[in-house]
Amino acid sequence: MIKEQHRAEKKAKRRGEIVRTALKLFAEKGFYATTIPEMARDLKMSVGNLYNYFSSKEILAQEIIREISAYLGARIREVNEAELSVREKIRRIVTIYFETARDEPEMIDFFLRVYLSNREVFHEGCEGMICVNEFVTEIMIFFDDGVASGALKNQDFFSAFGLFMGYLGGMVFLNGENILPRALEEYVDDISENIYNALKVS
Amino acid sequence: MRLLWLSALACNGNAHALLNYPHFEEWQEDFEWLYHPLLPSTHAFVEVEEGIEGVEILIVDGTLEEGLVKNRLVYNELLARYAAEAKCIVTVGTCATFGGIFAQGGEGRSGLHFSKERRHGRFDDFWEKTVSLPGCPVQPEVLAGTLSMLRLGEPLPLDALHRPKYFYAYTVHDGCTRNEYFEYKIDEHRFGALEGCMFYEHGCQGTFTHGSCNKILWNGVHSKTRAGTPCMGCTEPDFPRETLWRTSKHMGIPARMPLGVPRRAYLSLAGIAKAFRIERFERPMMEDERG
Amino acid sequence: MAEVRLELIEKIEGEAQVRYFYEEERVDFAEILFVTGRGIEKILEGRDPWDALTINPRVCGICGHAHLIATVRALEDCYTDLKLSPKARKVRELTLAFELLQNHFKWFYLTILPLLDLEAPRRSVLEPSRILGEMIALLAGQYPHNSYAIPGGITCEITPVDLHGVRQRHRHLQKLFRRGVIDVDLEAFVRCDRIEAMLKREGDLPRAMQRILDRGWERLGRSCDRFIVFGHNDLFVAGKSIGTRLQKHLDLRYLRESSIEGSRARRVLYREKSYETGPLARAMLLKTPLTKEAHRRYGDSLFSRILARVCEIPRLLRYTEALIASIDLSESAWIDPGPLPEEAEGTGIVEAARGSLIHRLQIKEGKIARYRIVTPTQWNLGNGSREEPGVAQSALIGLHREDPAELVFKAFDVCSVCTTK
Repeated sequence: MIKEQHRAEKKAKRRGEIVRTALKLFAEKGFYATTIPEMARDLKMSVGNLYNYFSSKEILAQEIIREISAYLGARIREVNEAELSVREKIRRIVTIYFETARDEPEMIDFFLRVYLSNREVFHEGCEGMICVNEFVTEIMIFFDDGVASGALKNQDFFSAFGLFMGYLGGMVFLNGENILPRALEEYVDDISENIYNALKVS
Repeated sequence: MRLLWLSALACNGNAHALLNYPHFEEWQEDFEWLYHPLLPSTHAFVEVEEGIEGVEILIVDGTLEEGLVKNRLVYNELLARYAAEAKCIVTVGTCATFGGIFAQGGEGRSGLHFSKERRHGRFDDFWEKTVSLPGCPVQPEVLAGTLSMLRLGEPLPLDALHRPKYFYAYTVHDGCTRNEYFEYKIDEHRFGALEGCMFYEHGCQGTFTHGSCNKILWNGVHSKTRAGTPCMGCTEPDFPRETLWRTSKHMGIPARMPLGVPRRAYLSLAGIAKAFRIERFERPMMEDERG
Repeated sequence: MAEVRLELIEKIEGEAQVRYFYEEERVDFAEILFVTGRGIEKILEGRDPWDALTINPRVCGICGHAHLIATVRALEDCYTDLKLSPKARKVRELTLAFELLQNHFKWFYLTILPLLDLEAPRRSVLEPSRILGEMIALLAGQYPHNSYAIPGGITCEITPVDLHGVRQRHRHLQKLFRRGVIDVDLEAFVRCDRIEAMLKREGDLPRAMQRILDRGWERLGRSCDRFIVFGHNDLFVAGKSIGTRLQKHLDLRYLRESSIEGSRARRVLYREKSYETGPLARAMLLKTPLTKEAHRRYGDSLFSRILARVCEIPRLLRYTEALIASIDLSESAWIDPGPLPEEAEGTGIVEAARGSLIHRLQIKEGKIARYRIVTPTQWNLGNGSREEPGVAQSALIGLHREDPAELVFKAFDVCSVCTTK
């Protein structure tokens, strides 16, 4: 019994290692340039054993995006559940996004360079926004609360979502290309204010 | 069992709907109308004002209004007199229960115990013996069934607003023929079609309205939502809300969630359901199914 | 010395009071009072115009469907270029006609027969009423109080199975009419112009009419002999008739409403004159043979009034049968008319069971700015002065103390709930 539990724990740990290694490689080299043998080599495991965990590169990529979505979703959920003004909530969400880009750069890179760029990889199993459901749900809740409280303008979801997330993604991209003269965190105030002004009730 | 039916500001819809009860004649053999607004009764209304004996169930219909006089007496005083005597009081329809449409037409108007969802307390002495049967109108099966169960002394579990659970624990959504379009989040709906769900665009309140409309079919044959008309929430305390034919939304997200469903749970499920394009829901029902 | 007596009229749709002024043994003057009011027109103000489709059927528990149809017509009148498929138009005509039929049955059995001391089995009224409710529900979702008629058509698609259900019930209904009301061939009866021939048949209608004759009441309840019909379709024609003199052209600009002291009902006049509306008026405009004959003999009396109303049943049955047969189910149930204009005015006219029903609304900044309803009961029961009495008032004035005043009054079929909108 204890032995079985131990084995399961070990397996979960190994699984986590695979995801992290794969994430790093995917984010660095892109989906197609990364191979399973390469991952196996970095993980010091056999290719056959790796396939025991994930039966294809696509499934591994899908698992990664689900985990990123869950990670960001959980952090935004904390913001949604806090007693804060809409303005402050926007600032917190921007901060979370930029902090993640700084501390876990491969997460955001994966999101922008793999998930959004190689849509064909996600067609089966990640239809629509299923694999980013937790993240999108929290953004929806943020918007819903904002409109219900009278702070945000009632408009089409995607118009608002694109404005918010497209802006943040664009800044992270510029940062990654070393184009930004200042550190990403230094833009938080201006960007939060711009987003708020764009979304608030006129 | 002896029934006294008193109407305040009413449209008589509850009284007429009851006549559609399929077993009305047989059902009525168990009851005596001391007074009913349409049917032959033991007493004339003038006698009811003078005072009659033997009221067992008082049926209250229509919106109450302070100082309302129907003939000679102040209606609310007449009501209080018979309410004190009756073993049980039944408010029929949303007007008598919560105030309904006509409560919006003048000052001092309410249901017997409620102004919308707020208890106003004017008839609190009678609260314990009151059964609420909201609906605009109340379904005949609900009224006839409740009266028969009261007559037989059978247990009638009530919810917090005193609505019998046997009829009001369901939502109007339960049994709607358009349910699949809701479950799979197909948000296109066009009037004049068999397909589609009115929740997303056309204000259907079926998923958060208590009632048996799609369990006990209207006139035994149909229902509003089956016929492509959105549920207007007519059994609820806040009936009639504003802008009834358009779903109120916040950035595309319905402002009201299905009964008891947390928003996060709803949005997560919706996100998943919406990800799939299911071919069957995109073509007319009467077209051939593929393989 | 004049004697004043106040009477409550009940077992109508709601209640009304009549204050009789007797001089010697006769009614010298009568005032009709509706003491409660509900404020529907006010409730509608400021709302989204579509809300009227939900609120207005609730004006009345017995003729609410007529209010729905009047509402949708008023809303559609706000568009400049609205398309309605023949199917949608016909289905609406059908459900409206079914309500008329149901109201006629209910009134004849629940209101008129008891006042003639005649009894009929309860199922004579319950069965047709229930079946007609089912027929409306099959097409419109439920009865009473549905909202299936919307600008551009109807909310539902109708399948052949629904229509089959309607057709079967229609046959049942015809059988019930012949078994209960009068045992005749519908086709022949509609052409019949001999009162004696009608009286010889079996049924509750000949029994009722014979009872009126036996009691010598056939000339009671005569009024102004002026009739008006605003609605028109394949069954009714619009116009006015003074005695038997017809004029087809009407103009709503000549319609005037005025409030009545002590009553919640407004009086309504056409070119400053009161007119009777309802089945007798419709029959006078159409010159239907049997009613024409009754009118020739007894004038606009309660005899003619009751006969005209019951005789609408076979005509409605034939009309609806033809409508059902002519529906082309392949047509659209609804044609999107686009959003309502932000600023508009519209009028919707319907022939309801008790007569012409007129809805008028004004939309400003996309909301209802003003809503006005003129009901049949306002025409027939509205109060006038001693010099210019209203229609029912004229019918009551001159009655002897022994005469059946309640029957005279109720022969108009009072819809108090509509009138105290």
